[in-house]
Amino acid sequence: MAARSTTRPGYTRIDVPMTPMIDVVFQLLIFFMLTLKIIAPEGDFSVNMPIAASGEAAASAVQPLQVRLIANPDGSLGQLMLGEQNLGNRSPDCFRRLNREIGDIVSQSREFIDDLEVIIDSDYGLHYSHLLKAVSHCRGRMQGGQFIPFIKNIRFAEPRPPEL
Amino acid sequence: MSQPSHVSPDLTPMIDVTFQLITFFMVVTNFEQTQADERIKLPEDVLAKPVKVARREELVINLGFLRNRDGSKQDSEPWVFLIGEQLRLQDFGPRLQHEARVMRVRGDEQRVRDTTITIRADADVPAGVVQQAMQLSQEAGFEKFALKAKQAAEDG
Repeated sequence: MAARSTTRPGYTRIDVPMTPMIDVVFQLLIFFMLTLKIIAPEGDFSVNMPIAASGEAAASAVQPLQVRLIANPDGSLGQLMLGEQNLGNRSPDCFRRLNREIGDIVSQSREFIDDLEVIIDSDYGLHYSHLLKAVSHCRGRMQGGQFIPFIKNIRFAEPRPPEL
Repeated sequence: MSQPSHVSPDLTPMIDVTFQLITFFMVVTNFEQTQADERIKLPEDVLAKPVKVARREELVINLGFLRNRDGSKQDSEPWVFLIGEQLRLQDFGPRLQHEARVMRVRGDEQRVRDTTITIRADADVPAGVVQQAMQLSQEAGFEKFALKAKQAAEDG
């Protein structure tokens, strides 16, 4: 209940009861503290794979680029290839080379940039992180905080059967 | 002897601080990422930027391993974690077909096509498993995919 106390004649000082408000505020504080889950920010790469185009290359004026990822038995990267070109297996250098090569192809074919397509063909047992790196390095490059897009049409080849 | 006096402490600074704390926790709390499975150790990538506009229709699939407290894998075969269920890859196809059927009953065929399958796969999962999961999703009628990665700092 609000307690009244007289300070000066003619004036009445009203003490607002703070206890219920503090109770509620602390309840809220505890709720938000307990429900807080610190999650690192996540981003994503969108891949459009229409059902008709999943098996064969879509009809396009430009031949799709083939990126092949060969795995070692332990799932690490054995070899990275762009078409017939061997880019090595030392990560991240081989992916940087892939990025440079793709960048060169993109800069040479400015008028066909929207038609360019990459098909990524990976061994079954390869660790997914390498596959994602290949997607990222075909997608573009960050330069001084600026995103330079390369190829947005990226899809995967038919999954290879698991190595026994 | 002095008269006992009623001393009321000044609560204003404490309330100020408490409200600041509440505001902080309200802003920081993210209720949207409830489908993210903590067992998944996502790969990191510099180009992985959070989407600016949230997707209207999205189905999150977590692909990963059962892990011990120290982070080591319980078994080498990956699992699919889908809406609170834990499935092997061979059971994932029929489960997704069922999900697509429910969507078709509630909406139309277009709704299935517009749904983005967001794949949160562990960095160590075989790439073939991710590709198979995408193929099974395609067989169920889904066409749009998003591969999740943790945001990494830009290197030189």
